[in-house]
Amino acid sequence: MLNYKFDWSIVTSGKYFEWLVSGFKVTLQLSALSIVLAFLLGLLIAVMRMSHNRPIRWLSLAYLEFFRNTPLLVQIFFWYFGSYKILPTAVNDWLNSTNFEFAAAVIALTIYTSAFIAEDIRSGVLAIPKEQMEAARSAGFSYLRSMQYIILPQAVRLTVPPLVNQFLNLAKNSSLAMTIGVMELTYQARQVESYTFKGFEAFTAATVVYVAISLVITALVNLYNEKVLNIHKAA
Amino acid sequence: MKKLATLFMVTVLAALAAKTVLAADTLAEVKKKGVLVAGVKDSLPPFGYVDEKTRTIVGYDIDFINAIAKKLGVRVELKPVTSASRMPQLQEGHIDIIAATMTKNPERAKQIDFSHTYFFTGQKFITKKGTVKSLKDLDGKKIGTAKGSTSEQNAKKAIPSATVLSFDDYPQALLALEQGKVFAVTTDEAILAGILAKAPGKERFEIPNVQISDEPYGLGMRKGDKNFVDFVNKTILEMEKTGEAARIFTKWFGPATQFHLHRNFKITADR
Repeated sequence: MLNYKFDWSIVTSGKYFEWLVSGFKVTLQLSALSIVLAFLLGLLIAVMRMSHNRPIRWLSLAYLEFFRNTPLLVQIFFWYFGSYKILPTAVNDWLNSTNFEFAAAVIALTIYTSAFIAEDIRSGVLAIPKEQMEAARSAGFSYLRSMQYIILPQAVRLTVPPLVNQFLNLAKNSSLAMTIGVMELTYQARQVESYTFKGFEAFTAATVVYVAISLVITALVNLYNEKVLNIHKAA
Repeated sequence: MKKLATLFMVTVLAALAAKTVLAADTLAEVKKKGVLVAGVKDSLPPFGYVDEKTRTIVGYDIDFINAIAKKLGVRVELKPVTSASRMPQLQEGHIDIIAATMTKNPERAKQIDFSHTYFFTGQKFITKKGTVKSLKDLDGKKIGTAKGSTSEQNAKKAIPSATVLSFDDYPQALLALEQGKVFAVTTDEAILAGILAKAPGKERFEIPNVQISDEPYGLGMRKGDKNFVDFVNKTILEMEKTGEAARIFTKWFGPATQFHLHRNFKITADR
């Protein structure tokens, strides 16, 4: 006995379709913004991690271990609910009058992912022969400039495949933002389910969209590889 | 590739469809296995919550399940459910009956069958004291509730200009209210009274006399499971006649509790 009737029309047109589209837009904004910020922050942490200054190295190591080893969900709750306890009232009032749910989700996703990205970039840097750094330094570049002009451009190239993984993870992890009321794709799919009880249709639609987002990210990075870095797939 | 994708989809759908194949006669099934598996809330006093001393789930909903199981002569197994998970759990056969503060409404009645109303309440708000006098005070504000509940839909209908934020469960919604992230928390009055009774700093909050809907609760059973639905209805009507239903109400909501609710309903054949 099959007592579930599929009705795909609810997710292809009408009110519920619009909800899913608006959720898709929020997921896209959340992911794109967090990917850019996480990459920049990850780059910074990676450079700090390889610095010759001991306190800076320790600081970045502590950052890494802390944010890599705590669950993302806990971090989201920390930024959204926990930050209230440490911020002054005026700041809290201002945050509460804005779309703080979204901001807290971006902060959590950025910081969490940056820790992984930093390690990937570091492994890329370690793969560059250390003579290159020595050569750069003896040619008169400072440590930061050697990194900027000589080491990082090569390292990032090597790091592209693991970076894609992190970007994909981030896009999918963004669904956890629904726990604090960010109306992204999974939130809206759940919403459609609770209004219509058509959970299979709603979540199938959401799944298709997540796969599409992931494929687009992969395609963009491959394009960047080929056009900008001149790396070809065969290589 | 296209073929492969189609094959994949078909496999997935077939797997999903297989899960919805169910025994049609829960009454016979439950008697045979000797246990009634009920989906209940486990953090929602006084309907269903974990008793601090005994570490078991107790409450108004649970007492109804116990009475039904006793009539059947089987033991009870309680499974915690959330507002969002309870209907799929029932439909997939993980539980036999839902006793989890579930409002009867026409959309849900298309998917499952409800018993007669065993509890009656209305949807209201918890706010910081003195901030809300009428529905107008909530215009354009953020309002918190829990996912998958009717509360969210009612609030959107009653105050279209408000933003309704759905959290995973009510404790988080209350925390958001405490931190000023939402202006009010909305759901059924009896649930709000339970949340408020347990809330730290409860003297700063109140439940203003602003009601946006009627909420009759029913026990949920699988669609078309007539024998079982009839049995449950007969049982709770008897409980009303013998006064047991009223006793259960007084036990959890009466003057000796922190809720002081008045029983303004009777269990009748209302379907």
